[in-house]
Amino acid sequence: MSLLQDAAVGEPDPIRAPRVSGSVLRTVGGKVLRAFITLAFVVVFNFFLFRLLPGDPIGLYTRGRNQDAEQLAELRRALDKPILEQFLTYVRNPFDPGIDSTRFSRPVWEMIGERVWPTLLLLGTAIVLASIIGIWIGIRAGWKPGSRFDKTSTGTTLTLYSMPEFWLGMMLLIVFSVGAFGIPGLFPVGGIVTPGVDTSTPLGWLNVLWHMVLPCTTLTLIYLADYSLVMRASLIDERKQEYLALARAKGLRDVMVRQKHAVPNALLPTITLIFLSLGFVVTGAITVETVFSWPGLGLLTYEALRGPDIPLLQATFLLFSIAVIVANLLAELLYAIIDPRVRS
Amino acid sequence: MIRRLIVGITAGAIALAPAAVAPSAQAADPVVFTVGMLSDVDSLNPFTGILAESYEMYQLQYSTLMQPSNADFTPAPGLAESWEESADGKTWTYTLRPDLVWSDGTPLTANDVVYTFNRILDGRYEKTNYGNYLRNVTGVSATDDRTVVVTVKAPSPIMERLAVYILPEHVWSAIDGKAVKSFANEPGEGETLVGSGPFLVTERQAGQFIRLVANDTYYGGRPKVDELIFRIYNNPDALAQALKKGEVDFAEGLTADVFSTLEGVEGITTYAGAYSGFNELAFNMGAALSDGTPIGDGNPHIQDLAVRQAISHAIDRQQLVDAVLDGYGTPGSTIIPPLYTTLHVDPATQPYDPALANQILDEAGYAMGPDGIRIGPDGVPMSYRYFVRSDSDTSVKSGEYIKSYLAEIGIEANIKPVTDDALYEIIGRGEFDMFEWGWVVEPDPDYQLSTFTCAKRSYKDGDTIYADLSDSFFCDPEYDALYAAQSEETDQAARAEIVKQMQQIIYDNVAYVITFYYDNLEAYRSDRFTGFLGQPEGSGSLLFQYGTYSYANVAPVGADSADTGGSDGASASPGATDQGSAGGETEPASSGGSSTGLVISLVVAALVIVVLVLVLVRSRRSASVDSRE
Repeated sequence: MSLLQDAAVGEPDPIRAPRVSGSVLRTVGGKVLRAFITLAFVVVFNFFLFRLLPGDPIGLYTRGRNQDAEQLAELRRALDKPILEQFLTYVRNPFDPGIDSTRFSRPVWEMIGERVWPTLLLLGTAIVLASIIGIWIGIRAGWKPGSRFDKTSTGTTLTLYSMPEFWLGMMLLIVFSVGAFGIPGLFPVGGIVTPGVDTSTPLGWLNVLWHMVLPCTTLTLIYLADYSLVMRASLIDERKQEYLALARAKGLRDVMVRQKHAVPNALLPTITLIFLSLGFVVTGAITVETVFSWPGLGLLTYEALRGPDIPLLQATFLLFSIAVIVANLLAELLYAIIDPRVRS
Repeated sequence: MIRRLIVGITAGAIALAPAAVAPSAQAADPVVFTVGMLSDVDSLNPFTGILAESYEMYQLQYSTLMQPSNADFTPAPGLAESWEESADGKTWTYTLRPDLVWSDGTPLTANDVVYTFNRILDGRYEKTNYGNYLRNVTGVSATDDRTVVVTVKAPSPIMERLAVYILPEHVWSAIDGKAVKSFANEPGEGETLVGSGPFLVTERQAGQFIRLVANDTYYGGRPKVDELIFRIYNNPDALAQALKKGEVDFAEGLTADVFSTLEGVEGITTYAGAYSGFNELAFNMGAALSDGTPIGDGNPHIQDLAVRQAISHAIDRQQLVDAVLDGYGTPGSTIIPPLYTTLHVDPATQPYDPALANQILDEAGYAMGPDGIRIGPDGVPMSYRYFVRSDSDTSVKSGEYIKSYLAEIGIEANIKPVTDDALYEIIGRGEFDMFEWGWVVEPDPDYQLSTFTCAKRSYKDGDTIYADLSDSFFCDPEYDALYAAQSEETDQAARAEIVKQMQQIIYDNVAYVITFYYDNLEAYRSDRFTGFLGQPEGSGSLLFQYGTYSYANVAPVGADSADTGGSDGASASPGATDQGSAGGETEPASSGGSSTGLVISLVVAALVIVVLVLVLVRSRRSASVDSRE
């Protein structure tokens, strides 16, 4: 918000302030404002979207329990408030720590809090690794398209990309966790930490790292193609540009032409892609969470759909939306820094 | 610089290696029994949870006055050593065991029982899970520290089966009726929940594990293992792999395909235990509200007893067991499963006989049509909606078999797969002809029997129709009278006779075709632990029983012989000696083993990182050499 005000109040003393900075502020302010409007829309939309879901949560959760119709009716009445009243309560503060899940009778934000760190840790690491390795492969392959490296890497990443996550995960699990083909079972089958190990100690971190190796490898291998192929394609485009011919004419060596001129320009689409995927980091990865018993947000959301558990669904979707909006905003802002053309 | 840092990290990992092994190798290791299960607990608050996994924790943490015996489910002493019904059946007197104490040392007295019962009777939220046990109760009082007197409206057999977890008043009185709704009942860092059961919850990580420690003050004596850990695996394949690897000692609730891969594996015993659940093909016998107002759009054919009888004769229950359950179950008959030996009855008058089924339909006026589908006396073809649960492989698979059985007698079943949630609502509104689902039956039959009473048909609240317990809409005055009679019969033998008559009525009227009673599939490391007790003995489930018999009795293999050597012998033996005796090249089993794995894999991971970084640094350097040129 402060950015916005600056843009409005700090309208330039035309001589001293260079015109550019004012317009930058305005651009930034506009973008932030737009992000807020999107967010407000999402908050409202989320509320009504989930109200459209059919279901009788109370009936479903109490099937098989010793309860008479009167008790059920009472429980239902507690949920069945007029839609406007529900909406006002919700809009007043969607992050209210007092919002309880219908199914688990616990504050939804507390439940999400428990799950969000494992999710961020796993997917964040996987995306960072995949993008670093992917970009590296993309640069090498794209600079010399048709080379042996290009053929092997494109083939490999595409094969990995097309593998079902569940299958690849299970294979890694069987080979590296239980042990097969003479490979000893080095890694744990599931979970995030060995029960009883204190995660606040360095030994605890190592234990978490150890549990993370297989799920993280699975995700990295599968995401790899996304980044390497985009990087490769945009670098191939860049190779034909005339400024590269100029750079070579200056006498720069091939590696220099690549690193100093071609790659920075070719990076733009990949960066967009990275930020887009970072936005989805919090949504988790249901299949990998299932295979490696990773306590992430993906499975929690899936659980919440049963019933449905509207407060929990609302909260998870709100979180997902915020993450995507923030990531997109960051990507746009970063664009302005990396690419001078965007600024004008 | 970068390179030096990396070397530092590797060195660090190696330096940490002994540290990783050290804690587990050092003295007095606790004996840990680890159970792997496929679903997390929904809440540790006994007033909130609904999943079987949660109830397993409650009964480990809190004792009840009495519990179903592990021999045959007859009521056996719990906190109460004896109980007595007054001559008029209106007063029950419970005598607690002497010298009961909570795990924190506070005496456990009759006042705690009175507190818990009153909390349920007076509370709104607290009624949810336990209200029905105390439905007839009018007053609860403690006449002395060991005597609880309960008055009831009418004679109530349920008073011998009160599955109400007695809570410590000195802890729970701080949580009022409002706070209890969102009370998690989870221990703080380094704390243990106060309880009276064999184990006490000491740590919970949602979605990962629950750790419990043995209760020194348990009335049945301290359990033979020191720690009990429940780990959550999100798929059965991973759970089986974890058992093979030794990450868990016991795998609960496996699927048939995974279960069979564990058969014959060295060191592992597979166990298909009889379970208290059944699956059924249910019929819409005339959907109506509890006041008799018809609802829904069920096909009238289904209300014809001859049609339902024909269907029952057309279904090959043995083949369903073999094909759908891979043989891990028994063919179904009545609504009380055979593991309740004192209550179950098997009339065996509806055997698989397609010829007889065809004959019944011919005689009832359902003539075979030209396309192989019979036409009813009303001129409508015998083509029915048949709902199966898309969430359940068992349901979908038995649906396909049943469709083909019905096709053989000229009935067309249009399979409609829907989610549990959707089916629940469809049933409530009576908008079906047949469906596939199941029930789990408690040792006290009252609840299951009530699902066929007229009063449990759907009801209306405002304009909306809600499902109650009845999903067949069966309604029969004779059955209702018997239901009322059994609910006041406190002589167990006399009650069993009534319950058998009621099963017979449901069977003869074919409200359900019970397809099978499925087994609970369990597997455990018999090279490491022993002492499991089935319920009922010899054939029933080893864990997830009505009681905690196995947990209180399970012990490391070899602990009995080296009794004095207790903890240190036991801690080493599960990993070392047994595997020796089993000729084992199996995975290292002790916690020391997993630490070694940790260290090795971390070193490998560090090496991989070093190599990667070196490659990067090299390419960087070549780049910077270029730029200097």
